[in-house]
Amino acid sequence: MSKEKLRLGFQGRFEEKVVEVADGDPAPWDPSRKFSIMGARTPRLDGRAKATGAARYSIDVVLPGMLYGKILRSPYPAAVVKSIDLEPARKMPGVKAAMAIAKPGDKLRFAGQEVAAVAADTSERALDAMRAIRVEYEQKPFVVDPVKARNDDAPLVFEAAAETKTSAGDVGNARKPLPKKGNVQGPRASAKGDVEEGFRKADAIVEGTYVTAVQTHSPLETHGIVAKWEGDDLTVWASTQGIFSMRDELAETLGIPASKITVLTEYMGGGFGAKFGAGVYGVTAAKLAKEAGAPVKLFLDRKEQHLAVGNRPSAIQWVKAGATKDGKLTALSLLVHGNGGTNGGTGTSGPVKNVYECANVKTEEYDVFTNAGPSAAFRAPGHPQGSFALEATMDELAAKIGMDPLEFRMKNDPSEIRREEFRIGAEKIGWKDRDARRKSSKDPAIRRGIGVGAAIWYNTGGTGPKATVTIHRDGSAEVVHGVQDLGTGARTMVGIVAAEELGLPLANVAVKIGDTRMPYGPGSGGSTTTPSTAPTIRAAAWQAKKKMAAVLASKWGVPAESVEENGGAFAAKGDGGDAVHKASWREACAALPAEGVSATASRAENHGDAWKRFTAGAQFAEVEVDIETGIVRVRKIVAVHDCGLVVNALTTESQIQGGIIQGVSYALYENRILDNQTGRMVNPNVEQYKIAGALDVPEIDVTVLPVWDGVNNTHSVGIGEPSTVPTAGAIANAVSHAIGARIRRLPITPESVLAAFDAAAAGKGGVA
Amino acid sequence: MKAFTLLPVASLAEASREWVKPKTALKAGGVDLLDRMKEGLDSPDRVVSIAHVPGLASIEPGPPARIGALATLAKIEAHAGIRKYYPALAEAAGGAATPQIRNMATLGGNIAQRPRCWYFRQAEFDCRKKGGDTCFARFGENRFHAIFDTDICCCVHPSATSVALMAYGARLETVSAKGKRSIPLDQFFVLPDEDPTRENGLGPGEIIESVVIPPPASGSRSSYKKLKEKESFDWPLVEACVALTVSGGAIREARVVLGSVSPVPRRALAAEKLLVGSAPSEALFSKAAAAALEGATPLEQNAHKVRLARVMVERALRDALA
Amino acid sequence: MSDSEDRPGFTRRDLVRGALVGAVAARVGAKTPAPADASMGPGAVPLTLNINGHAYRLNAEPRVVLADALRERLGLTGTKVVCGRGACGACTVMVDGETACSCLLLAAEVQGRKITTIEGLAADGRIAPIQEAFVEADALQCGFCTSGMVMSCKSLLDRNPKPSREEIKHALAGNLCRCGTYPHVIDAVERAAGIRTAGRAEEPAGFTVAAGFRRRPELHEDARIDSATAEAIEEA
Repeated sequence: MSKEKLRLGFQGRFEEKVVEVADGDPAPWDPSRKFSIMGARTPRLDGRAKATGAARYSIDVVLPGMLYGKILRSPYPAAVVKSIDLEPARKMPGVKAAMAIAKPGDKLRFAGQEVAAVAADTSERALDAMRAIRVEYEQKPFVVDPVKARNDDAPLVFEAAAETKTSAGDVGNARKPLPKKGNVQGPRASAKGDVEEGFRKADAIVEGTYVTAVQTHSPLETHGIVAKWEGDDLTVWASTQGIFSMRDELAETLGIPASKITVLTEYMGGGFGAKFGAGVYGVTAAKLAKEAGAPVKLFLDRKEQHLAVGNRPSAIQWVKAGATKDGKLTALSLLVHGNGGTNGGTGTSGPVKNVYECANVKTEEYDVFTNAGPSAAFRAPGHPQGSFALEATMDELAAKIGMDPLEFRMKNDPSEIRREEFRIGAEKIGWKDRDARRKSSKDPAIRRGIGVGAAIWYNTGGTGPKATVTIHRDGSAEVVHGVQDLGTGARTMVGIVAAEELGLPLANVAVKIGDTRMPYGPGSGGSTTTPSTAPTIRAAAWQAKKKMAAVLASKWGVPAESVEENGGAFAAKGDGGDAVHKASWREACAALPAEGVSATASRAENHGDAWKRFTAGAQFAEVEVDIETGIVRVRKIVAVHDCGLVVNALTTESQIQGGIIQGVSYALYENRILDNQTGRMVNPNVEQYKIAGALDVPEIDVTVLPVWDGVNNTHSVGIGEPSTVPTAGAIANAVSHAIGARIRRLPITPESVLAAFDAAAAGKGGVA
Repeated sequence: MKAFTLLPVASLAEASREWVKPKTALKAGGVDLLDRMKEGLDSPDRVVSIAHVPGLASIEPGPPARIGALATLAKIEAHAGIRKYYPALAEAAGGAATPQIRNMATLGGNIAQRPRCWYFRQAEFDCRKKGGDTCFARFGENRFHAIFDTDICCCVHPSATSVALMAYGARLETVSAKGKRSIPLDQFFVLPDEDPTRENGLGPGEIIESVVIPPPASGSRSSYKKLKEKESFDWPLVEACVALTVSGGAIREARVVLGSVSPVPRRALAAEKLLVGSAPSEALFSKAAAAALEGATPLEQNAHKVRLARVMVERALRDALA
Repeated sequence: MSDSEDRPGFTRRDLVRGALVGAVAARVGAKTPAPADASMGPGAVPLTLNINGHAYRLNAEPRVVLADALRERLGLTGTKVVCGRGACGACTVMVDGETACSCLLLAAEVQGRKITTIEGLAADGRIAPIQEAFVEADALQCGFCTSGMVMSCKSLLDRNPKPSREEIKHALAGNLCRCGTYPHVIDAVERAAGIRTAGRAEEPAGFTVAAGFRRRPELHEDARIDSATAEAIEEA
């Protein structure tokens, strides 16, 4: 341990802090540092492979003799399996394996739940065989409507305690058991201060109920694996956000040692939170492969993807808030009924508890179970929903006390960073004359509106990851680290950090990722990949350089500590301070032994004494609303985000744009629709489950604030999640500004806009 | 998709002979058929393909225009003659589906395609259109469904080109074992009360060969307007197409057709009647639009479509007469 | 397809049937006598596909769609399948120069037609300018929509070398991206069209890193190993 005095903060507002730095870990970079490649716009290392179609995703793997697996799923939302007859499937041409997944007597709890599976020599024959499986079901009463599910006489999704273990991807879903009554589980409750007292102090109180729809992750590459056995050794090519969590769940479920399993994810077609576990599909593929004695590829189709492997839960949120007339929040109260189908963990309280300062906050969150596919972690779980309700509430309170909604936020925002972000964004969107612009369109049917929303995230990342950096005698370097790149640019991030620390061009750094035989890499969730991985890579590179210095010291016959490295050149200074020995990078490398030097570093613990904060973001939306048709078009989003020190400005911009576009899609289009008569999803496709396309994307203006927090040696935080948190809330507020009426439901539809506008025009307050 | 025998044929006569045999499907561009076969809605043993029948992809702009059944939506959209004489058709063809699909989808297939109702489109729902006894949409999820003719099967007809073609008074020329027929498009479609399992009156083995559009009269104006939730690929909430002839300051002829509001493309006769003989004005547009939607019987979730369709009629009239 | 009948000497139908018996019609151009019964299947039949200028032979049932033939039989996995129903554009290929969804084309029916996939865009060992532009503009995140996006963009630029932003967006209306990469795809098309020429280090108008972060870009250009070694490493 050493104590290092650091300058930490942002935007010229720096303070000195003494931080304890672990042995083997470099001190966090100083703001005065001139970076070589960190923060530049660097095209990603695998861009060419992706742009040419050469990138081999797990779904692209074709092995000799490989079979295609297919899962038969329940057509009923609630049923007991009476019998499963695999024989007709086994007799089909090309079929090499067939297995039951459910047993007679098992209860199926959603339409799309796994029942049986087959493997055949072509994908077409696998489908034929799947359709030949005979299953007898006894249908049971079901409920898919989260409001009806709360009724006393609603059919029970779980007769006993809820079985919410899902391998659809919930990270850390293990919570202490909560009470359950009927289909309602909870509450998870929190309280700060005394909300009743807070409401008594308030000059203005608003309340409202906010409803959000289920959003499915819809990664373009579906969930799936290719499983191949060689004796007792299993190799899988997986589309996963966590190669190690996939490995460990396979080991546990199949009852084989983790050491016998290798998981590979070279390229990956998106996950957004739903791809951490082995999944029923993964375990099934491995079992089919074992039975058939041949490799099996089992990837879901689009419909299965919607039904069975995760979604963002819907929520019904009641919010009540109070403020004084000079604009201070006095009380915030939130009651949530979240619906994650057969899964729990549906809370949305993060924004209400953490974004704005309020002395009296009370939250109560309930999971409502329905006979629908289980939820899974989805890009900032709970936050887009919570942000939508909170930001609408903030606007309504501001209106009630007659204060500008941005000013009201500034008065209650404890984050110095976000207040700066609000200032930057307001300037860029033209907040000052937003009212004047409402009717500025030449088209009399068009109203314009501008709204704002805030994001908070948690600058986590932590211990566990390891990386090996090797410096070769020819001067090139190699980083080996078992992380996976979901499309975020993690591979390039790893290379950039190593190149920066070693002072090498990126082209001279080889990056090897995506293999569980490599040093442990983090699962990519919670926006923790960069803050976990980047400091690990830097530490390994730093240690490798130290080893180089030691080699030189021994060659020069000087003490190791007298050799210093600066920008990739080495020197040993004599007593007078003059360099008595010098070596350029190339000379130093040439002095290395045949094996070069290697260092494997572990991620140091976060510096508890650093300049800590929640990660802050602010977004402004400008919309156009056609008041005759209710159609909303988002014209512009201005986003201002803190993401620590940017590793790669180009991929950071991509990721923030992506978060915003998913937010636009969530605000206006996405809605998993279940049929109450049959309990089935009516839109399990990408035609009627609507996702924003190129023409639906607004102009996007992104600013990032570099923040030097010193929590880890690269000042890294993640941006994947915060970038999608405030978008929908900002859009909803912009729509309300445009039409002078509040929409309390996502997605915002033409009919909800028309209803709100009509109600406002009729002087009825305008709420829909 | 279930295995099948593929029969490429060289003529429509041959196709017609083959198509009437049991468990046989007819394929042109295949966009709709393969989608249904993948879902298991159709599982033919034999697929007769007319995709390569010569001479059926031609576009003669006329006027009168004659468009072969295999002409793609992209070719129709891009055709200078169609854009000049039948701009609403070019607009409808060019706004349908996606660029890729417009390169594949044929005009005949677009007219004869089956509805996109999400209950019909999934094999698990044994709905009336599949010969079952329930219309799930009637009391289910019906935001995108019909607001007219909703009693039996409340899907909407998905053909955008038909909306424009009907406004232009187009006829279909068909071929079957019985010989050739010429059918006015506004008598081609079949409402569910006649037979919910079909959308049109094609007889056994009867195949659309071409579409003939009468020449526009002098002073003719037309406009096709549709409303979509998304601007990128999306099915319309409502469509309206108007084709009018104006002379001496008054509307002499008028055809108003609504799309995505009924199981068939729907002519708004009451609106047409109001328009004929009157001078164009905002007041007239709104009266005509109201007349076009008279008698609508919206479902629980789609009352707003009545209003949206009215706005589309108004906008189409305004645009045509601007 | 309307212009195919204009080709002298053989009809489209001959092309299909010619290919059926093993000739590569597009290359050979010879008229092959049609068999008495032209029906194929339901079992596997020999097919020949003209893909990226090469003849590929395979046995497949008539129900096999082009996307699956490419991916599962011919090792051409650059073409992706996302929805399988023509709604997402991931499987976009060019058939006789026009984009099409390969998930809704029967492989048996595109014999004799000129099929171009993402693997076929490179010419003379160089990747196409639009592919280069995708890399430079970071017009890809997870990359799963990229092949289809590139094909749509290539097709647009072939028809319209200087498209407007609106035209670019319309050309992409059938390509779904879940990561939300559209703005950078538009950038890439503008770069490839020469409309936007921003270098890689230059920050475009839409992205700002606020003050407080210093860089010295000269350092990372300063390779510390000799250029011959660096080139050898890059080639490797």
